[in-house]
Amino acid sequence: MYDNRASESAVTADDIKIEAKGVNVHYGTTHAIKDVDVSILDKTVTAFIGPSGCGKSTFLRCINRMNDTIDVARVTGDIRIDGEDINDARVDPVQLRAKVGMVFQKPNPFPKSIYDNVAYGPKIHGLAKNKGDLDDIVERALRRGAIWDEVKDRLHAPGTGLSGGQQQRLCIARAVATEPEVLLMDEPCSALDPIATGQVEELIDELRRDYSVVIVTHSMQQAARVSQKTAFFHLGNLIEYGDTDEIFTNPKDPKTESYITGRIG
Amino acid sequence: MPFYWTLAIIALLCAAGYVLGRRKAVASVGGDKRRLHSLPNFYGMNVALKGAVPAFGLLVFWLIAQPLFVEWRVSSIVSDLAVSEARDLGLVMVDVRRVADGLDTAVATGTMTASEATDIAAGDGNVRERLGAAGVALGSEVSEPVLRAAQRYRALSSTGDTLRSVAVLAVLLLGLGWAYRETDGEFRARNVVEQGVLALLLGAACIAILTTLGIVLSLIFNTIEFFSIYPASEFFFSTTWSPSFGGGSSLGILPLLWGTLYISLIALAVAVPIGLMAAIYLSEYASPRVRGVAKPALEILAGIPTIVYGLFALLTVGPALMVVFGDGGLGWMQAGTAVMTAGLVMGIMLIPFVSSLSDDIINAVPQSMRDGSYGLGATQSETVRQVVLPAALPGIVGAILLAASRAIGETMIVVLGAGAAARISPNPFEAMTTVTAKIVSQLTGDADFSSPEALVAFALGMTLFVLTLGLNVFALYIVRKYREQYE
Repeated sequence: MYDNRASESAVTADDIKIEAKGVNVHYGTTHAIKDVDVSILDKTVTAFIGPSGCGKSTFLRCINRMNDTIDVARVTGDIRIDGEDINDARVDPVQLRAKVGMVFQKPNPFPKSIYDNVAYGPKIHGLAKNKGDLDDIVERALRRGAIWDEVKDRLHAPGTGLSGGQQQRLCIARAVATEPEVLLMDEPCSALDPIATGQVEELIDELRRDYSVVIVTHSMQQAARVSQKTAFFHLGNLIEYGDTDEIFTNPKDPKTESYITGRIG
Repeated sequence: MPFYWTLAIIALLCAAGYVLGRRKAVASVGGDKRRLHSLPNFYGMNVALKGAVPAFGLLVFWLIAQPLFVEWRVSSIVSDLAVSEARDLGLVMVDVRRVADGLDTAVATGTMTASEATDIAAGDGNVRERLGAAGVALGSEVSEPVLRAAQRYRALSSTGDTLRSVAVLAVLLLGLGWAYRETDGEFRARNVVEQGVLALLLGAACIAILTTLGIVLSLIFNTIEFFSIYPASEFFFSTTWSPSFGGGSSLGILPLLWGTLYISLIALAVAVPIGLMAAIYLSEYASPRVRGVAKPALEILAGIPTIVYGLFALLTVGPALMVVFGDGGLGWMQAGTAVMTAGLVMGIMLIPFVSSLSDDIINAVPQSMRDGSYGLGATQSETVRQVVLPAALPGIVGAILLAASRAIGETMIVVLGAGAAARISPNPFEAMTTVTAKIVSQLTGDADFSSPEALVAFALGMTLFVLTLGLNVFALYIVRKYREQYE
């Protein structure tokens, strides 16, 4: 897909995967993201926290150019994945999104069978050589999504018939099936009960071995549990970014401290 | 008392009841509205409803029952006459009603006094001329029994009218009085009024259903009559349609069904792809500005009367097809009126049906589905084909079947565009005709209404009804089946 595959093999845990500089987003006349700089590491879970409407989801959607689908959104600034500018005119947003998978706040399985839901991405990107190959990809993705055992006997039942937690894990499996390099998760657990949340969190920790995971969350406990790096957003500004332990135990900015101790937000 | 006065008095008394009931309720709690069970308006409405509903009920019942009763009483007077002159009792009663109406008019215009109208006898001469002077033309001289029956008719009717007004007003006052008596702060007026509204809604729903039932019944009786004088096997399996009002006609439905289905098929072949693609463009690709202009413009098509489409077929599409497929061109077409002409124009008529309904359905597919697809790196067209359309499919199938029902029932375009020849032919450039067009032509002629040539229209209508009903049931089945799979 991209020419820089060779450099990927050399990445270590501290390599920068996504580098954003001076990112601004306007929705019509609203200035939603103000001059955000951030460097997201490979094979790391990065959490975006902050009060509602602070721009964390908007920033997340910049990384795979999902804001392109909103007419009034205007994104400026420089975002690089593996050193390549994603807003460059030569980059096809469609190919970018195959490389940067996304899981949404509300589980949104397609009105298709479980199998077809997972096979959707591999099919449109031509990742499978034949039917057997596709079966393997689907099984692998469902196993990585920690849902294989629950659905292996009913792969051709509709994906919409699963419970909320199962649907969300199906959506994660669906995102994983296209072999992305980065996985963006927009409050993936907000519609789930604690048990399903636990399963998804375990899954996120698993995924860290292969991917750079960015997760937006409203739960500070969740951010503390799953992430290694945390970014705190407030009113469109990135207030503080650092190691999760550092942010939660020793925040530098008074705003961050007020938020994590529950005084604002 | 004239009928409208009764209505006006009911309305007036109910309004008064409303005001009084409301006032009594408020007074019963010493003016403190918070201590009432319901809002003050409900007490007023309760009184008004309890007056109006029984009064109107009785009024409607009386309006239906009185003519039947009067007819029954009067017909005993003229039944001897009918027997003696070997005439149909119904026809004699028509005369009686006509003379009675004539006398009413004569009194109203002043050519006769009221007592003259009640006492005049046929022997007093020139009843016909005097009624003629009042503007009521009678076909023949009025005979004594008919005149007496007419006078009796008038007397009974006027007594009935008076009784009706009295009874209705009595019921009205009774209802208002009862409701007024029970009004006090504890009374649960809101619950009662809401029950009343519920009954009203139920009644409206029942009327819709009963009307459908009535339509079916009226068709069924005439259809049964038709099949009693014409063999059903001939009707359903004969391949010739050649009605001749002199008798000995062949009334096979197959050529008409063939024409109907052929034209509908061509219409759908035009409307479904174009309509669906227009809907996809409008809902997925068009900018809000284009959509704002294009959607209403498309819907204008739906507002054009079908007779105008018929003219378009006759004057524009037919001749245009002739240029290409007629004798000057490929030589397949003999005249401008053909299955193809009607089918194309009907297809154009159905485009807004398909596109507008499909557009709404596609718009109803949640944005999260599209986001999910884009998030996996699908292009817009992949998203539309593989996610949006499958999700919208049940609704789209419903829209298409609705369009098919319209196509099957369409008449004017066929009359003007497809010709009138009933034949079974695979050539779409020949003239054919449809069930609906033939229903019109069988009923608008001078045919005797009891002849098979006229009654066949009802059998055709019934067949059409069953066909579209079957189509709708099938549509429901499809929609439900897919819904189970997708939700």
